[in-house]
Amino acid sequence: MSERPFSDLFYDGETLTLDPDSGGRRFGIDPRCLGGPPVAGAYAHVCALADPDARVPYDQPEVQQARRDALAWWIPLLGEALVCLTTISLDSVHYGGAITVSRDARQFGADPFARLFPGRTHRTDLFGAVLAPPGPVLERYGGAPWPGGAF
Amino acid sequence: MAVATPGAAPPVGERFPDLDLPDHTGRARSLSEVAGGDPLALVFARGWWCPKEQRYLRELAGLQDEFEVAYARIAVVSVDPPEVQAAFRAGLGARFVFLSDADRRWLPRLGLLEQADEIHHPYRPTAFSLFPDLTVHAAWAGDWYWGRPTMEELRLAMRDISRAVRSDWDLD
Repeated sequence: MSERPFSDLFYDGETLTLDPDSGGRRFGIDPRCLGGPPVAGAYAHVCALADPDARVPYDQPEVQQARRDALAWWIPLLGEALVCLTTISLDSVHYGGAITVSRDARQFGADPFARLFPGRTHRTDLFGAVLAPPGPVLERYGGAPWPGGAF
Repeated sequence: MAVATPGAAPPVGERFPDLDLPDHTGRARSLSEVAGGDPLALVFARGWWCPKEQRYLRELAGLQDEFEVAYARIAVVSVDPPEVQAAFRAGLGARFVFLSDADRRWLPRLGLLEQADEIHHPYRPTAFSLFPDLTVHAAWAGDWYWGRPTMEELRLAMRDISRAVRSDWDLD
């Protein structure tokens, strides 16, 4: 893959921003989430921590099961309210969490990614709509956050 | 590997039409987007009511763990409406996509009408293995249950296609 398979997003536990000087922790997210016209006033459920030690290997079974649950029922549960979702890559090996962006926050209590890192809801105008992944395919190597990336 | 090219659907070596259909959540999809640059197992099923489909798709759901670690995809097309497909899919424990041709828009163009069923007017049970660009690698006519690809045949088909399209497949 020649292009960088992720876009940078920064998070300090309170604010999501594209500003690299914000002091927030750097997350690598599916670049398509930032590629289209942003959806104003959406809700981002950030299942990640600002703590730099909060990471697990992508290949951990818990990570893969959360992604399988996303394909099986989380995406259908959100339905038309879903704006986009992305896992968070910290490098080519580590998972830092996931972000689900929706026009409606009422289902966030069921987020399967909150089993790994606790979820917190933020209003945001950063994210654009991305068609939900059809599945099934696991993350690609090289730090491409799911569902982005291709060979 | 037994290969049978059914009806007016494209034969082996030709490009499969880029079907545009709603998925089990009602979202508009195209077949090329579902393939997403990977090998694809495309299964046409009668519908949720058919005991053969219930049996076969349960088998296919058992194979999805391998598909998702092997960078290959599965899609199922039927005439069930999206909400019925969503319930059927959940019951099967499937994580792959179902595409709904409830309006039978593609069915006559593919020549895959099940002639014997005058109640549901469903698809003939057929299956195709497709290259990432939707070129047909192999096809199976499954009117008789044993005509459907076994899970081992699907594995071998995905191996053939992956060997052809993954540049770093070989040891040297």
